[in-house]
Amino acid sequence: MPEPLREVQRRFLAGIAEDDAGAEALIVDDARVGAAKRLAIYRNNYRASLTGVLADHHERLHAWLGDEQFDNVACAYVAAHPSTTRNLRHYGDGFAAFLAENFPDDGEQAELARLDWALRAAFDAPDVPALDAVRVTGLGETWLDQPLTLHPSASLLSARFNVAALWRALDDGEEPPEPVELTEPVALLVWRNGLQPHFRSLSEIEAGALAQLEAGATFTGLSAHVIEAVGETAAMEELAGWLGQWLADGVLVLGLD
Amino acid sequence: MRAENSRTVPSPGFGLGLRPDHYPDFLAGPQPVEWLEIISENYMVPGGRPLAMLDRIRADYPMVMHGVSLSIGSDEPLDRAYLADLTALAERVEPLWISDHLCWTGIDAHNSHDLLPLPYDAPALQCVVDNIGRVQDSLGRRILIENPSSYVTFRSSDRSEWDFLADMAERADCLLLLDVNNIYVSARNHGFDPLDYLAGLPAHRIQQIHLAGHSDMGDYVIDTHDAEVCDAVWELYARAIAMFGPVATMIERDDAIPPLADLIVELDRARTVAARAMQHVDA
Repeated sequence: MPEPLREVQRRFLAGIAEDDAGAEALIVDDARVGAAKRLAIYRNNYRASLTGVLADHHERLHAWLGDEQFDNVACAYVAAHPSTTRNLRHYGDGFAAFLAENFPDDGEQAELARLDWALRAAFDAPDVPALDAVRVTGLGETWLDQPLTLHPSASLLSARFNVAALWRALDDGEEPPEPVELTEPVALLVWRNGLQPHFRSLSEIEAGALAQLEAGATFTGLSAHVIEAVGETAAMEELAGWLGQWLADGVLVLGLD
Repeated sequence: MRAENSRTVPSPGFGLGLRPDHYPDFLAGPQPVEWLEIISENYMVPGGRPLAMLDRIRADYPMVMHGVSLSIGSDEPLDRAYLADLTALAERVEPLWISDHLCWTGIDAHNSHDLLPLPYDAPALQCVVDNIGRVQDSLGRRILIENPSSYVTFRSSDRSEWDFLADMAERADCLLLLDVNNIYVSARNHGFDPLDYLAGLPAHRIQQIHLAGHSDMGDYVIDTHDAEVCDAVWELYARAIAMFGPVATMIERDDAIPPLADLIVELDRARTVAARAMQHVDA
């Protein structure tokens, strides 16, 4: 009884992904190239395509680490994380967490990976119409009491390192600054405006405001919180400034949309 | 010279693989390309730039969809979620046709993201024929299956790749995407005559041709799609056109992407080679 195809495929995949030598017995050996070398072509393709997509989706981390060191950490991820996704687009989803867990002494690596990944997620996030000034004007005052939330392309990250400065220097091809652990974590907002992903650092109070909106607060509810925190005059100034920026950037959607 | 029993639609001419590097060229103005091929998975995303570019460029060019993840050779149930996404993309693009590869990409939910080789034997043929049937029923149309490049031969293989493809195409009633470079690569790697390969194929089911470059490692050849089409592949292409007629042809470049103008020059060479091959036939 020949071995079922499914068994053949399990053994072959183990041969290329886990270097299982048993796979060699499945294929014809020859004097010119040899079974081991032939199987090695698939092993190389397997690693190269997975590490290649990690590099494509983590360009600034790649620039930060350089080819050799990036390849080391990417290969470690590939060995620990067989892909279970159909689309290669999603393969790097656990990469930042993997780096945080396995390289805790180099915290900036995981944070750069997280920022690269969030920008990549913003790049092809769903096309939902964002709340903008025209729409707000058309809605009159009714929107003030409707729950808001962040646009699907928008996300909030918390950074313990100066990754914003690192990322921008690497993106510009300049000499990056030394990684520095901050005295207080800083929040970053990632979003997409039109077709272009962006990010910026947030003040603590704006980060808190966006976190409330992400959780479904209304603008009226948010305003009450901010007034309580900083007083009415300062709150009105802050809220007007933020709202203008959020509407221009396309960061918000009505929660009921 | 289309055969009486042809299952294909008439050739739309000469095309290119659409790559993000060339979006600005296609948006800037008309290019001398009759159709474009997209990599389906690159547009199976929620939104943003990929879909915006797709819609804008699709308005000006007929398209075909070429996938890498169908995995018709995996001996396990098809991924229905993937098939649903593929169907949704097809509704958006309204492609001339949809293709994928004679290969498997994974098993037991572990995806290699590579086009892995199959044994050419009866159980693998049955698996592939059944899966193509399911996909065609689901999409409501015939699909094209592309010959892979391969580096190994399974001990259980008891027939040639072209015999396998020919039987598969008849039994599943599907079409073929002939990658001439892959034939050349596999012929070098396995030591068969590429003309035997061409002669063994069902001409009336060949809908499309891929041309690409490869890396010659001496003892073997790797299908890298990062270089110009080599002379031996051009010669094989001329033979294919002489045998199969004016089949829709495109240059497939996946790495080291050159300026669009360079690919258009290469595509013009395909036009010239095909026209000359057809003259020989007509004469």
